[in-house]
Amino acid sequence: MADVHLDKINKKYENGFHAVCDLDLHIADGEFLVLVGPSGCGKSTALRMIAGLEDITSGTLQIGGRVVNALSPKDRDIAMVFQSYALYPHMTVADNIAYGLKIRRMNKDEIRRRVKRAADMLELGPLLHRRPKQLSGGQRQRVAMGRAIVREPQVFLMDEPLSNLDAKLRVQMRAEIAQLQRDLKTTTVYVTHDQVEAMTMGDRIAVMKAGLLQQAGAPQYLYDNPDNLFVAGFIGSPPMNMALGRLERTGGGERESAGWTVALGSARLPLPAEVAVERPALAAYLDRDIAVGIRSEDMEDARLAQGARARMRATVILTEALGSEIIVHLEHDARRLVTDDTRILEKETGAADVPRHDGGTRIVASFAPRSPVRPRDEIEIAVDTARIHFFDPTSGAAVRA
Amino acid sequence: MAGSSGNLGETPAPADRAAGPVHRGSAKGGWLRQFGWRHAIGLAALAFALFPVLFVVSAALNPLGTLSSTELIPTGASWENFRKILGGTRFPRWFANTLVIGTVAAVAGMFLSACAAYAFSRYRFRGRRMGLLSLLLVQMFPQFLAAVALYLMFTVMTDYYPPIGFNTRSGLILLYLGGALSVNTWLMKGFLDSIPVELDESAKVDGASHAQIFFGIILPLVAPILAVTALLGFILAVNEFLLASIFLTDLEAQTLAVGLWGLVAGERNNNFGAYCAGSLLTAIPTVALFQFLQRYIVSGLTSGAVKG
Repeated sequence: MADVHLDKINKKYENGFHAVCDLDLHIADGEFLVLVGPSGCGKSTALRMIAGLEDITSGTLQIGGRVVNALSPKDRDIAMVFQSYALYPHMTVADNIAYGLKIRRMNKDEIRRRVKRAADMLELGPLLHRRPKQLSGGQRQRVAMGRAIVREPQVFLMDEPLSNLDAKLRVQMRAEIAQLQRDLKTTTVYVTHDQVEAMTMGDRIAVMKAGLLQQAGAPQYLYDNPDNLFVAGFIGSPPMNMALGRLERTGGGERESAGWTVALGSARLPLPAEVAVERPALAAYLDRDIAVGIRSEDMEDARLAQGARARMRATVILTEALGSEIIVHLEHDARRLVTDDTRILEKETGAADVPRHDGGTRIVASFAPRSPVRPRDEIEIAVDTARIHFFDPTSGAAVRA
Repeated sequence: MAGSSGNLGETPAPADRAAGPVHRGSAKGGWLRQFGWRHAIGLAALAFALFPVLFVVSAALNPLGTLSSTELIPTGASWENFRKILGGTRFPRWFANTLVIGTVAAVAGMFLSACAAYAFSRYRFRGRRMGLLSLLLVQMFPQFLAAVALYLMFTVMTDYYPPIGFNTRSGLILLYLGGALSVNTWLMKGFLDSIPVELDESAKVDGASHAQIFFGIILPLVAPILAVTALLGFILAVNEFLLASIFLTDLEAQTLAVGLWGLVAGERNNNFGAYCAGSLLTAIPTVALFQFLQRYIVSGLTSGAVKG
């Protein structure tokens, strides 16, 4: 067991591409860290540098307090699970699992004992004499896991191990891997582009974009307190609604903040007093444009939220009843927020491919199932203004203290 | 409706419309149209392929042993020609030479090109592109061109270091290794490129050394192409005539191709039966090797390495 310490790790390719930029991360002993980001953000490169499959251009990498920059993969005491599983096709499952131990000249009884234990853990017992091509996708994935755990390494490295599985199996294996890691208490670095995997599996998430670490923290913390527009839009499903608004002072009342409103298109949302107290930096944005982010669950059908002061009108385009909630797609006249971050996020979700004909902003809200909302209705939405997120529209950084 | 089947009531009898016996047949036509013509073509091809073989067998068994007395269908059978070639010439010696040269050239050539192809496929180094291109370019020059240069080189070599000079097995093996290297390297590189690099990386993380990855993981997966290159190398060495005839002037050192040619070079007619008997014996190792390597050539081992 060991911790992994990345100190200003850089990766520059010979063609000048800067894949990973000053990556600082400390992964505690036994921690499950998920590296997440859109494709090409450098997360896999970072993982491969920890594995020793890529050279580190500059920076220090420590595993268990030992600098391993110049050590070959076999001397780093790590095990890796590949996206394609990379099982040796000419060996049986048992041989595949035992290969790393045989290479290390471990004695035969010990190998047999360990293979059996790993096989029991992963329920591979009846498959031990099969070849990889005789296995289903899920079974191959399990063998790849078995090959990693049998080595009893200090660190597990996993490179999108579930992305080749179908949706149902992925959910099941997600839980199994998380459970396995909890049982073994082995430090794990897990790379994925799927934020749901990141949210559900990780003790901690590190979000990367274009080679830069954006934010690292516990899943719920990242969800509630995104440091910038990118993290806000990447973490959470459906993604956070973004629009360009304006912070205004209403009336002449100079009483502590109560006179602040957010103008979103035609809507005026009064901010509660505590927002100004908790986020004093907001004062600098008075009478200026500001990026506003609202999570879908912070909105509710106004007919169900009596007494809510902050309301805005919008037109329903589409409803998706999920039973426990209704996902409502709305059209609102707020200005669209377009920055580099939102463009990357749109590309990631595929939203960039959907044609848009309007000047307004699409909003996705989740209403309680009691809501009588129907498509083409013009409705009022109650917004939980205490939970609105504010970002600088140019830098994308969260506006807080 | 139909008067004749009035006793069935309202239901019209379909049999009424399709009067007469039912003709069953395939929509694709009869046996002849579907399969027959393929058999005809197959038979024609077979006759085409078997004719020379039959003629050689006939000549080898012909007791008179001359070209002019040989017919397509054997008129008599005797082992006279085989006795003559095995007893009266250096044939056994040529056979041994050919087997040694062929086997060593095939195995060593296979190994060399596997090593070269692995490096070209997996590593990125300065001169990689250049090396691959020059391998291809060198291959484009005709052998006649090389023969002169090689002859001059080996003249010097024979003076300074006779064990790999003219009239030696090792000298010719060296030549064949160089000759087959470029084609085999390209052939094998294409095969190696299709094996996912994750396998190498996975083995590397598991703790395997370069040699262990190469011999333990990669080579078993390219067994089919190894078999093909070995086979090609062997056939090349057995059949090659031009270089062998230049380099092996000593009767004792000759290969089958050169030696047998010497039999009929002077008087084509008289030794023809012995020549054909020798040719038949020459074919044995190649055919045997084909049989032995067949299953490697047919089977593809890489399936199942990654998903799909």
